[in-house]
Amino acid sequence: MSRLKRILLLVCIAIIGCIVSCKPRTSDNTIPAKGNDSDRSLMLVNIADNIILPTYANFDLKLTDMISKSDAFRNAPTEVTLTEFRTAWADAYIEWQKAALFDFGPATDYTLNSFLNLYPTNVSAIQANITAGNANLENFSFYSAQGFPALDYLINGIATSDADIVSLYDTDIDAAKRNAYLLKLTNQMRLKFDGVNNAWKNNYRNTFIASTGNGVNASTSVMVNGIVYYYERFLRSGKFGIPSGAMVNGTLLPGNVEAYYSKALAKTLAETAHQSFVDFFNGKGVNTGITGPSLFSYLNALDAKDATTSVLISKEITTQFDVVKTKLDALTGEDLSNEVSTQNANMIAVYNQMQIATRMLKVDMCSALSITITYTDNDGD
Amino acid sequence: MSNYFNRTTSVAPLVVFRIGLGFMLFLGTIRFWLNGWIEGLYISPKYFFPYYGFDFVVPLGNYTYALFFICGLSALFVALGFLYRLSSITLFLSFTYIELIDKTTYLNHYYFITLICFLMMFLPAHVYFSVDAYRKEHIRANTVPQWCIDSIKLFVSTLYICAGIAKINPDWLLHALPLKIWLPARNDMPIIGFLFNYTWVFYLFSWFGCIYDLCIPFFLWNKRTRIVAYFFVVVFHVLTSMLFPIGMFPYIMIITALIFFSPTFHERIISFIIDLLPTLSKSVASNKTYIYSNFKKRFVLGVFFAFFAIQFVMPFRYLLYPGQLFWTEEGYRFSWRVMLMEKAGYTQFTVKDGNGKYIIVNNEEFLTRQQEKMMSTQPDMMLQYAHILADYYELQGFVNPSVYVDAYVALNGRIGKSMVDTQVDLAKEKESLGHKYWIINYNE
Repeated sequence: MSRLKRILLLVCIAIIGCIVSCKPRTSDNTIPAKGNDSDRSLMLVNIADNIILPTYANFDLKLTDMISKSDAFRNAPTEVTLTEFRTAWADAYIEWQKAALFDFGPATDYTLNSFLNLYPTNVSAIQANITAGNANLENFSFYSAQGFPALDYLINGIATSDADIVSLYDTDIDAAKRNAYLLKLTNQMRLKFDGVNNAWKNNYRNTFIASTGNGVNASTSVMVNGIVYYYERFLRSGKFGIPSGAMVNGTLLPGNVEAYYSKALAKTLAETAHQSFVDFFNGKGVNTGITGPSLFSYLNALDAKDATTSVLISKEITTQFDVVKTKLDALTGEDLSNEVSTQNANMIAVYNQMQIATRMLKVDMCSALSITITYTDNDGD
Repeated sequence: MSNYFNRTTSVAPLVVFRIGLGFMLFLGTIRFWLNGWIEGLYISPKYFFPYYGFDFVVPLGNYTYALFFICGLSALFVALGFLYRLSSITLFLSFTYIELIDKTTYLNHYYFITLICFLMMFLPAHVYFSVDAYRKEHIRANTVPQWCIDSIKLFVSTLYICAGIAKINPDWLLHALPLKIWLPARNDMPIIGFLFNYTWVFYLFSWFGCIYDLCIPFFLWNKRTRIVAYFFVVVFHVLTSMLFPIGMFPYIMIITALIFFSPTFHERIISFIIDLLPTLSKSVASNKTYIYSNFKKRFVLGVFFAFFAIQFVMPFRYLLYPGQLFWTEEGYRFSWRVMLMEKAGYTQFTVKDGNGKYIIVNNEEFLTRQQEKMMSTQPDMMLQYAHILADYYELQGFVNPSVYVDAYVALNGRIGKSMVDTQVDLAKEKESLGHKYWIINYNE
């Protein structure tokens, strides 16, 4: 080979090297081949258009209704307006359970779960905020003095009889301050939710469906990491693990259940949250009821099954969801604080089965989907 | 044989390798810095996982930046051949120290760099076309003992062949695992992405990868097949770099494999650069041979023999342990087992004491995501973590805390299984090189 040729070879290598190293850091934004079952973009589109956007739209309506009932109550506190407010609050709270699992993207940017549903609510902080009148709800220490749990206390727990509750907003010396705080809370919920909802409606939807890769910032990874985290921390630990004492010393914490003051909602909230998670996994359209491309179908398209037993990973997971459901059904009543105090074994049973489901989601599903959780280099060991 | 050790050859391949390696490591250090990994991997974690026997290697806090600075500067100096003896030693020491801080960052690639830097400390890579040679006429030489260059080739060959042997296992060859799991996740890649929807492609990649690793050293060594082999080196490593997040390594291997080319080839690279910068010609003005003094030669050859003896044995030490290697990972590291398995785990630790206190640990409070991910599949790290927890909760008022783990681990796409006996108090177990009896056998 002549000298020239050798130099040419070197140059070629250098050029190839440059091309390769100058490629985009991840191929998160490329367009996949259409029509395959393993086409992640189909799954992302179905999840965005048939699940997330309509769920947010539905919640938007319930939130609007709740706020108008709250306003009506503030303007004319009576037992009638209180009851209407409570009903709207419960409806919105139930609807929120269907949206809480989208704990990724804008919802994470806005830490929406923390603003809307951090419990147990901090009663002394609420009282102090009412008195002070100028509390900054963005302050981290006041996350637990707002959202649905704070409203729960203010309309269900602040006094024992409905007449007493009404008088606290009507004739009591601090009535005006309490009404002001109610308004502050509903404004804050509106603000936080609108931030997330508008982000999805404006451009995040397109960002979400276009990012079809499997890098740590690609939608599939972000989404799966988000929902699995939600299942573990909010469903398993928040609703069952912590109040039942399963996680610390066996200490019963009946005051730590969701919707503690209402006494007539917690089971429904938990069941709704879990069913929404299952529907999300199965890709079931929220308004249509039709199942589309989903984590379930994607796992099947990847032929994700145990190499030894041939059990499909998707099947393993949905079977476990069914087991969780039977344990949820076995809870004796809506009042889960009473369940903790009197039938805690039922709470522990739900926790234990959710724990098994968590392992499957975190390990079997994430492994089969090749989900990336960190940025660093690896060589696959 | 003694004849072989007296043979000499052009120093050019070693010099080009020195320059390539030095610059790649220099860039690698900068990349690491810019990615924020110094902070993320070595400063922000609250706890670290030192290697067995290397507990004296402690994290340096903000001084880690100084360590990386020394490492990067040494790499640059090695590339330039400036104060080579000193800078090759500081490069080896600083790089190795960084690697020893935390086991959870272990990569075969980094181990490769550590070892190659070790060899480079003993090799006369600075006697030609370097700042040192430019400044000091008396050290200049244009030929060196043949074994100096062959040792690099031998080391690279060992790496490839061991990586190839490791791929001869049922999962890799018969089930195309883990590529069957990893490749479909890349089916949105331009041009070749669609291929990853077909099962035969996973088998093709698996078999090609295995045969490539086993054969490539021989084809690189053979003059007639070298060009074609090098073409495959480039294609193979460029492909892996596009498919997997493996950082600088593919490029380092592409540069390293140049060592197999003839001295003439490397001399032309050097003269090509000298044509551009004629003043450098002074640094190559020599017809001397670099000669190790008798003592030095014995010493260095002794070190190299020991080095290669260890290298040949290390990858097979796993045979001394019972159980399935991929499951227990006893004897897994330092063996060129690259991209061999998809493993994911979930560990729930329970700390108890005799007074009825217990807590289920939230790993996030102690470990970074990267650390938790690595710990959750590797028993030796679970043990280290158990001791971290025992120490922590003892301070929190737990009397003689015991630590139990429920470890659920999935290997190569099979449904997860329990990895550790949940009845064993890990706080009472000690790390050793022996088998860990508390690992549950992997029965398919």
